[in-house]
Amino acid sequence: MTSGAPPLRPEPIAILAGGVATPIGLDLDAFWSGLLAGADGLSSIERFATGDLRVGRGGEIKKLPPVALGIRSRAVALLVAAAADLRARGRLGAAAERIAVVVGTALGGVEELEQAVGDDATAHRALDALYDSPAHALAAWLDVRGPTLTVSTACASGAAALGVGADLLRDDAADLVVAGGYDVLCRFVMRGFDALRALTRERVRPFDRRRSGLLLGEAAGLVLMARERDVRGARLGRLLGHGSASDASHVAAPDPQGRGLEAAVRAALDAAGVAAADLDFVSAHGTATPLNDRIEASVLRRVLGARADGVPVNSIKGSVGHTMGAAAALEAIMCLLAARDGLIPPTVGHEEADPDCALDCVAGACRPAWPRLMLSTSLGFGGCNAALVLEGG
Amino acid sequence: MRPGVRVEGVGLLTGWGEGVAALPAEARAAAAGRAVIPLPRPALGGERFRRATRECLLGVTAVEAMLRDAGLDREAVRGERTALVFVTAAAYAASNAEFVLAGAASPAATEAGPVPNRRGSAGTLHFPYTAPSALPAEVAIEFGLTGAYVILIGGAAATVDAFWQAGGLLAAGRCERALVLAVETFEECEALWRRARWRLPGPLVEAAACALLGAGDGRPAYRARAAETALEHAAETRAGRTLSCGPLVGLALARAAGEGTVRLSGSWRGRTAAIELAIAGAAGRP
Repeated sequence: MTSGAPPLRPEPIAILAGGVATPIGLDLDAFWSGLLAGADGLSSIERFATGDLRVGRGGEIKKLPPVALGIRSRAVALLVAAAADLRARGRLGAAAERIAVVVGTALGGVEELEQAVGDDATAHRALDALYDSPAHALAAWLDVRGPTLTVSTACASGAAALGVGADLLRDDAADLVVAGGYDVLCRFVMRGFDALRALTRERVRPFDRRRSGLLLGEAAGLVLMARERDVRGARLGRLLGHGSASDASHVAAPDPQGRGLEAAVRAALDAAGVAAADLDFVSAHGTATPLNDRIEASVLRRVLGARADGVPVNSIKGSVGHTMGAAAALEAIMCLLAARDGLIPPTVGHEEADPDCALDCVAGACRPAWPRLMLSTSLGFGGCNAALVLEGG
Repeated sequence: MRPGVRVEGVGLLTGWGEGVAALPAEARAAAAGRAVIPLPRPALGGERFRRATRECLLGVTAVEAMLRDAGLDREAVRGERTALVFVTAAAYAASNAEFVLAGAASPAATEAGPVPNRRGSAGTLHFPYTAPSALPAEVAIEFGLTGAYVILIGGAAATVDAFWQAGGLLAAGRCERALVLAVETFEECEALWRRARWRLPGPLVEAAACALLGAGDGRPAYRARAAETALEHAAETRAGRTLSCGPLVGLALARAAGEGTVRLSGSWRGRTAAIELAIAGAAGRP
């Protein structure tokens, strides 16, 4: 609670631990080793019919961990899998009422809605269709009773969730926050992206001259956050600042000049008190659609200025697909692990540089480097843009 | 507690009509057994809104109503210095159900439908309009809002959280004005919500509401867990169940009553959040 308090302190937020469930690994260690090895988690979708779609591949999790088996909602199952991994790595050491949950999602319980308007006429299924249901199910599973918030800025949701979680801590509305994002691969979203012709029949190739589209993935990524001043032990890193901005240009396509993304990046840098010249690494949204990557590259070149050719950039969407609401949370975790281990994972699928995307794209193999200050960018339908500034160690 | 942000205008549309004057004394009695009190599709036409859903147009109309209440024109909010914080519990459900039913091969997919075409034009729903972000996107495009952008999903407690987010952006100097917008529609999925009536008792009243906030003297006093206020109870008595729009109904009631400060609360899924705001132009204005 805040009572007439001064403006938000520019206090860094400690990220104590991370937990994931992804197509390349059902825990943080497997995810990280898969990224470093350049694993490709994209495969033929088996869980639902795709025969009527142009593209039937994606980053599907083939087998859930035992802790998530038997959970009615796949969205909740993914969150529980990631939360179990998180809980094994970080202690929820605060009163239940002081632990908040903030999760981002593009799709929420839409698979439950498919079932609710189909052949499952139960009241439970109707309520599961509300997009905030999985977050509340996660809070119940964790047995925490602090504020439970759901953010849905499309594919920028994970970044926005970490930002809102940091705000809750800075405003003393919680002592610990479990924040992150999730989304499931389901017919609803496959049909939608298929109709938009956004899915590629080829390989996902972020920032590559031959890139032809994205593939979707399913995942959950969560982090445990606390105020830096409250942390005594080890941490993965810190969230220094976050920013968001609206394009106000188109419901589906990004602003052609990337003005919203640039505003979000500059807002995050400003909030963090970090100059663009001090960035050591950029985790790009990098969907591998022709338009997104060109716009994003131009924004990064404007922001990074003279250092644009020397700051390593990657995208992990060639490994796990575009995991929508989970994407930014996974990418934030990846940044912190890169800083921890001195290795930047490669951009799987990137082989031929595109002059229109003139960036120092990490490709082929992981690159030895010790990034300290890092930027993560996200864009989504509805002109949603978000950025995070992170610090390792 | 002291208010940290100032309310400069409130626009309110409900299934009962525009503004607090249209609200009945007791929504349940006025509903006369109807489960849903709908809002008509606003008469916004032209190529610009060719693909827009009813809920998108309701959002645009609520912002226009707010500007009228504040005595401002569109230029007052255009640009990067105005933040947009949108909240809804269920306004995306109609477009989601429409998209599901359009692609459903199963004859079992009939109970919630058929969902009528809710746009001005023929053709299938454009997939991006199934995202909750489509509604604030149309609002941002219409009014040229390029500032900070937050979308929360949930009922009335999430709206209080939205006021808190907006207040934080104002206090941090990240914007000069902030719009808190909430929209709820129920008509197209009435059968779905009827199944869940033990959790969502009626009457469910469609609503679209927007508040314009300006910076006050710090951050607003916010409690993530609080007790329900009499104003929250009054808003539900007058308007019915408007979910995320409930705190904005309360705010409109307080503004109409000439209150100088207001303590808003909102409850959803067992949590009540509360926030204190100042109301510009009211008696006792700080």
